[in-house]
Amino acid sequence: MTGKNNASEVNWDDYLKAYYEKPSSFKSWSGYDVKEIYTPEDSPDEKYEEKIADAGEYPFTRGIHANMFRGRLWTKREVVGIGSPADTHERLQYLVEQGGSGLNTIADVTYEMGLDADHPWAVNEVGLTGVNITSIKDMETLTKDIPLDKVSWSLITASTAASVTMAQYIAVAEDAGYQPAALRGSVQNDPIHFRYCGFRPASPLDLSIKLGSDVMEYCTRNLPKWYYTTVNMYDLREQGITAPQEVAFGFGIAMCYIDELIRRGLNIDEFAPRFTFYVSCHMDIFEEVAKIRAARRMWAKLMKEKYGAKDPRSMHFRFAVHTAGCSLIPQQPLNNIVRVAYEGLTAVLAGVQSLHCCSYDEPMCLPSEKAHLQALRTQQILAYETGVTNVADPLGGSYYVESLTDKMEEEVLKVMKRVEDVGGMEEAIRTEWLDHELESEAVERQKELDDGSKLVVGLNIFKEEEEKETPMGVQRVSPQSAKQQIEEVKELKRTRDMSKVRDAIKRIRDEAGEGKNTIPPMMEASRAFATTGEMLGTIRQVFGYSYDPMEIIESPFD
Amino acid sequence: MIKGKKKKIKALVTKVGLDGHDRGAKVVASMLKEAGMEVIYLGMYQMPENIVKAALDEDVDVIGLSYLSGEHLIFTPLIVEEMKKNGLDNVLLVAGGTFPAEDIPIMEEMGIDKVFRAGSLTESFVEYIRDNVKE
Amino acid sequence: MKKSKDIDEMIQQLFAGNRRAASRLITRVENETEDHHEIMKKIYPRTGQATIVGITGSGGAGKSTLTDHLIQKFREQGKTVGVIVVDPSSPFSGGALLGDRIRLQRHFLDDGVYIRSLASRGCLGGLSSATYNVIRILEAMGMDIIIVETLGAGQDEIDIIHIANTCILVATPGMGDDIQAMKAGIMEIADIIALNKSDLEGANRSLRQLQTALSVASLEEGQWAPRVIPTVSIGSRPEDLKGIDELASAITEHQEYLHTTRSIDKVKFERVEEELGLVFKDELQRLIFKGLRGTGKKRKYINSIIEGKNDPYSVVEEILNTYLIRKKKK
Repeated sequence: MTGKNNASEVNWDDYLKAYYEKPSSFKSWSGYDVKEIYTPEDSPDEKYEEKIADAGEYPFTRGIHANMFRGRLWTKREVVGIGSPADTHERLQYLVEQGGSGLNTIADVTYEMGLDADHPWAVNEVGLTGVNITSIKDMETLTKDIPLDKVSWSLITASTAASVTMAQYIAVAEDAGYQPAALRGSVQNDPIHFRYCGFRPASPLDLSIKLGSDVMEYCTRNLPKWYYTTVNMYDLREQGITAPQEVAFGFGIAMCYIDELIRRGLNIDEFAPRFTFYVSCHMDIFEEVAKIRAARRMWAKLMKEKYGAKDPRSMHFRFAVHTAGCSLIPQQPLNNIVRVAYEGLTAVLAGVQSLHCCSYDEPMCLPSEKAHLQALRTQQILAYETGVTNVADPLGGSYYVESLTDKMEEEVLKVMKRVEDVGGMEEAIRTEWLDHELESEAVERQKELDDGSKLVVGLNIFKEEEEKETPMGVQRVSPQSAKQQIEEVKELKRTRDMSKVRDAIKRIRDEAGEGKNTIPPMMEASRAFATTGEMLGTIRQVFGYSYDPMEIIESPFD
Repeated sequence: MIKGKKKKIKALVTKVGLDGHDRGAKVVASMLKEAGMEVIYLGMYQMPENIVKAALDEDVDVIGLSYLSGEHLIFTPLIVEEMKKNGLDNVLLVAGGTFPAEDIPIMEEMGIDKVFRAGSLTESFVEYIRDNVKE
Repeated sequence: MKKSKDIDEMIQQLFAGNRRAASRLITRVENETEDHHEIMKKIYPRTGQATIVGITGSGGAGKSTLTDHLIQKFREQGKTVGVIVVDPSSPFSGGALLGDRIRLQRHFLDDGVYIRSLASRGCLGGLSSATYNVIRILEAMGMDIIIVETLGAGQDEIDIIHIANTCILVATPGMGDDIQAMKAGIMEIADIIALNKSDLEGANRSLRQLQTALSVASLEEGQWAPRVIPTVSIGSRPEDLKGIDELASAITEHQEYLHTTRSIDKVKFERVEEELGLVFKDELQRLIFKGLRGTGKKRKYINSIIEGKNDPYSVVEEILNTYLIRKKKK
């Protein structure tokens, strides 16, 4: 039908059918039946204070701050990670110049796996999907000329390597004269979830809990302004699970860390105020808002009732939203801009603290500069034109949204009960119960698209012949950047003072062996130019694992 | 077509390299199974040599590569080369995942028989494989 | 159809250990192509010398990870290893997801290891006659050890004992009730029982139950006494693993037992007996149905059974009498 508007070719029967068309489904995205209309009977308000309450009041259903965006707009972060540290640095500066308010860097697959750029399996993929940080020098390049005490930096690095990242970042900051206590930002640091993103060899469960908790403990004691984890329920959702599963599994993982921090002798109110989450916003606007409202209420209760938190800030469900990458498709790609806009709107309606809007080209390539800018503009249109920032929890009190919030809570509890029945989250992970849940849901999602019970424009409805070109151009990673990065790492390894490296590695080995926090010795080792792979590999060995997660190379220190 | 019992299509589905986004590969493997094919699922962290060796041992009719992170232009020629070296000229090679439209002709030029982008419906790749398995 | 010259060439390559030839020949026997009899006839003289180890047990028991470790052990002994992994076909679609190969991937690039996944294709949980032929091909290829890994446990899986010289049943803690139920048949199935995941809760109890079950069975003088070996086959760290060496030694001991007592002759006899029966059954069926082709009789017979006018036994008797000119019983 494209480009043909010859009247004689219009099928008027089809026209009539389209005119009288009704929605084909009355289910929410996660598959729950919804009613034609919701009335006061669906959400009786007699328990308002106890169940909902004003924004800023326990249980924080309506938001964690009383005035929400009037106090401060959300942080507009666009994730950057491309080619070498220098390339990434360049794009970061560009986005800040354009009004981005949070720096957000992402690792490439090699760094995510904890491999140095010169690892034999890394050579093909260095810098392809993010930035590789092999040594402290790379971190210096990345942060050059950026006032680290002023910016809020989000290190979506590899969760597996988050401990190394923090050590490298703090060491660089200290060396540049900043006090660690002045540093602001966040680090993804959720190594447990990383096994579900394809980095299982690098994230055995016990090591994940150990290193994740080391970062949390160290930051709690030394970087009071730092958000030391963003428990990543987003990546789990991207596997195809439903909204309630996202929250339940995310909470389950969060509790693995909290239990460990308490075991280490920290008080819940000492650390919980810096606990944050990374949440998805998918296409069903109301379900997603209800999901987040339910999560806020449930988290507050959980922290207060299960963990005995007294400080209201410990009960805050703080979250960043990344719009749902898996809702975007390469067919008719400009439509993705509209999808992202709805999802971003949803996040703001739900009271988000920090937002990343996907660029429209996400299902095709890394964000091009134009696409990156367009995504940032989507956020800015939301913030400055739509008026959604005026009022806290604008959907609160809607019969539908309140009822759906209750429904979400009920469903999350059901999933949490199932996790409990298999022996708790650690057991669910260890026995691969969670893997099976994720896999079967993913297949369900595909079937819904195949049989049309879930409609996606351009995919199973209103299809057209596919475009031959990406509208705003394709972002390529220069193979030169990767080559240079690899060469620099090799050069560094040739020229550094090996006796210093050896001493530093020995200290990591000794202190990890004694069960001490690994961040301080890793900061020292970073300064001696020990690399990501070397530091993580040494700790892996202490825990009895192979030095190299891919089992290709051996430790040079044995 | 081999005479005898009705021949089953044997497929190998795999990720390539370090990228571990395996949701798509797993879903495709399940859907091919439901379409009646016998599917060898190789999972993650497979390098070209491994993939081709497995395809050789298993005598598969089709290899399905799953890409996500821009690695398709790097690994595709290595796999095609490895297939040639091992005489797998009868094996259909398809790829699925996230690619810019501009790369599809390049991948076909490199030796991929058919590229399926994210958002492809099951019917499209099942039918293609059924219609195009060689021999 | 391949020319027989091509087939001969492939067979010669097979004898030389060529994996491409092996994998193509396996496909042909698996699909029962018209020439698969020819293939089997030609390779048969080169078979019969390998040690065949069967590994069976229910899904998720850890068969593949145990197989992985056993391959490693055998390779350390300098032996070549062929592995056949049988997984069930879906009764609905006929398709199969053969995912166990992943767990064996550290051997992919080892030229001394050949791994082949087979779908059960309707032989629920059991082994098809094709499996026998695939084993023969791997023998002809020169593999010293052939590991056959099959799904299913207990009585359904008795097939495996007709093939394997040494049969390992993989059990896991918590299958106590199953063990009780298996008591009677357990001796016939397994020469060795691997109690895998023996680091799990309840492992000691299961171990005791298994040992009790084995101790009450009556053994003849000098007969192999099946043994239970606690194992842990999954662990990212070497020290997490348990019982792998013991399992490998038990296999060796069982082989020695078979050879010193000449029980191996009985094992070989049974294997061929079973094989012969299967080939007979398949061939007879093929011949008869071929004979009926185009006559419309097969359909008539089936309908008459459905309508209650006839039964399968009478039909078979009638057909055999007609086509094989069998002498009537007195």
